Amino acid sequence: MAAPLSRQKLLREWKLYFFILPSLAMVLVFAYYPATSAIYHSFFEWAGGDTKQLIGFDNFRRAFHDQVLIDSFFTVSVLIVFNLFKMIPSILLAVLIHRLKSDRWQYLYRVLLVVPMIVPGLVTLFIWKFFFDPNLGVLNGLLDFTGLKSALVWLDHLFGWGVFYANVPIGWLSQPELILPSLFLWGFPWIGAVGVLIFLAGLQSIGQEVYEAAEIDGVGPIGKFLYIELPLILTQVRLSLVLLIVATLGGYGLQLQLLNEYGGPGGRGMVPGLWMYNRAFYAGEFGYACAIGMILFAFILALTFVNNRYVRIEK
Amino acid sequence: MSTVAPTLTSAWRRDWSKHVFILFFILIELFPLYMMFQVSFKDNATFIRQPWLPTNPLTWHWENWGFAFHLILPYIANTVFVAVTGTVASLFLAILGAYFFARHRLPCSGILWAAFLALMLMPGVVNITPLFMLLKSLKLLNTLWALVLVGVASGQVFSIFVLRNFIEDLPRDLFEAAEMDGASHLQQVFNVVIPMSGPIIGTLAILSFLSMWNDFLLPLIVLRDQDLFTLGVGLIYLDGEYVKQWGQIMAAYFVASIPLIIVFLFTMRLFVRGLSAGAIKG
Repeated sequence: MAAPLSRQKLLREWKLYFFILPSLAMVLVFAYYPATSAIYHSFFEWAGGDTKQLIGFDNFRRAFHDQVLIDSFFTVSVLIVFNLFKMIPSILLAVLIHRLKSDRWQYLYRVLLVVPMIVPGLVTLFIWKFFFDPNLGVLNGLLDFTGLKSALVWLDHLFGWGVFYANVPIGWLSQPELILPSLFLWGFPWIGAVGVLIFLAGLQSIGQEVYEAAEIDGVGPIGKFLYIELPLILTQVRLSLVLLIVATLGGYGLQLQLLNEYGGPGGRGMVPGLWMYNRAFYAGEFGYACAIGMILFAFILALTFVNNRYVRIEK
Repeated sequence: MSTVAPTLTSAWRRDWSKHVFILFFILIELFPLYMMFQVSFKDNATFIRQPWLPTNPLTWHWENWGFAFHLILPYIANTVFVAVTGTVASLFLAILGAYFFARHRLPCSGILWAAFLALMLMPGVVNITPLFMLLKSLKLLNTLWALVLVGVASGQVFSIFVLRNFIEDLPRDLFEAAEMDGASHLQQVFNVVIPMSGPIIGTLAILSFLSMWNDFLLPLIVLRDQDLFTLGVGLIYLDGEYVKQWGQIMAAYFVASIPLIIVFLFTMRLFVRGLSAGAIKG
């Protein structure tokens, strides 16, 4: 930690302020100003032009009765649960790679994990959209090929879902009932390269002697995971948990590109961020969009506080 | 190192079940890349007849790749401009800012630090509406500079946070010696800080480059002219076409990935290490 300066030294060092000035200016203009502007404009009816009308809390009142927004919060909660589940493969893969005896293989697998990251995120997304295509898509092809399709049709018959039919290609992204399942399937097998690398970095602190001691005590592979590995990466798991929840809550790029600006058929994929984007750029209701942004921000802030309060992250 | 070969085989014998699992995961993970590559050489008719396996290289439709290069190269040029300018400017400003916080505790630096840290709580996405209006009033809509400026601004907090800790851990003597020799603060930044923090700067550069390279939400609302499209908008535009020639589209996706493939080949170690190290700090 840098020590406070004496008055005399201060007179000599004041030029240092010029060092922080550019960063500060950027942050003030492109982060603080928009944030303040969002708070201000959430109290206005504003179509983005010069004219705006102060309407007090009407935007917020409207938001609390906006069925689309309320449903979107349910949808995003479901997506958060999905994403928590999707963390499991990354953790397992990290543990598996870590347990390999050979460093060379460990390195090779780490490189192979990073390889998919060279594809722009959007391309991965569009390739998945292509996988979901009803007629040419890989997913339907695979289901037909393996005969799983007939199993799905049979299950459909049994439970009366009314979703899968024998001779009709499955419209993964065009049937309202299938939107959430598709968003769950998306990205299978759900390996996040960055996630695996974080977990691996955490596992690296486990010494070989810990494993040897565990082996002498007769701890099995599952025991090793529960008593040695999981506690050591708990910090990283919590950290990525928090980042994941915040990112899911505020994110909407996936829904916008995989479905459309209305969250797909029946609006089943509508999330709060997407509704905000939709109101601003498709309906021109900038004031209302700012209000939705504020509500979303309040949720994220509340979650961050809960997290800081109850989920400690030791550095 | 002399017993590399025997340890490899014995390790393989002990770990084969783990290898099978890992390879299974990684193969599925790489499957989209495989599909992208092999479909890029087919026209729609061939693709419908044989969706899974690559066709004979003699009958490959190279014109898909010609189409893709023609379409995507301008987008790549725009994106490279945004990502490179943005990354360099972002890191330079962040180094100066971090130096300010790390070297001396001047009056107000505590408040300024809090002002930066508070932004970590603020999710960027909820700001997009007023940000759009701001760019509009600055007459920056439909320019690449808008993307650069916003990219630089949004990268500041994280980079300054990481670099401050790093600079504070550098040996004090180095700075004192430089000061004895009459080095100004700017000279200290260039001759002490930057040479000493190569790896961390590389890591931050990769993270910042990737985030600007992959961004599509901001370009989507900022850019209107097709000449200015970055990869993100360009690909969305391509996805919106009515009759889809999957071969051409997949070739375009592949071409869009080429710049990062090149970067990856040269900085593989930094990439792997950077992503794991950078992620912990986050």
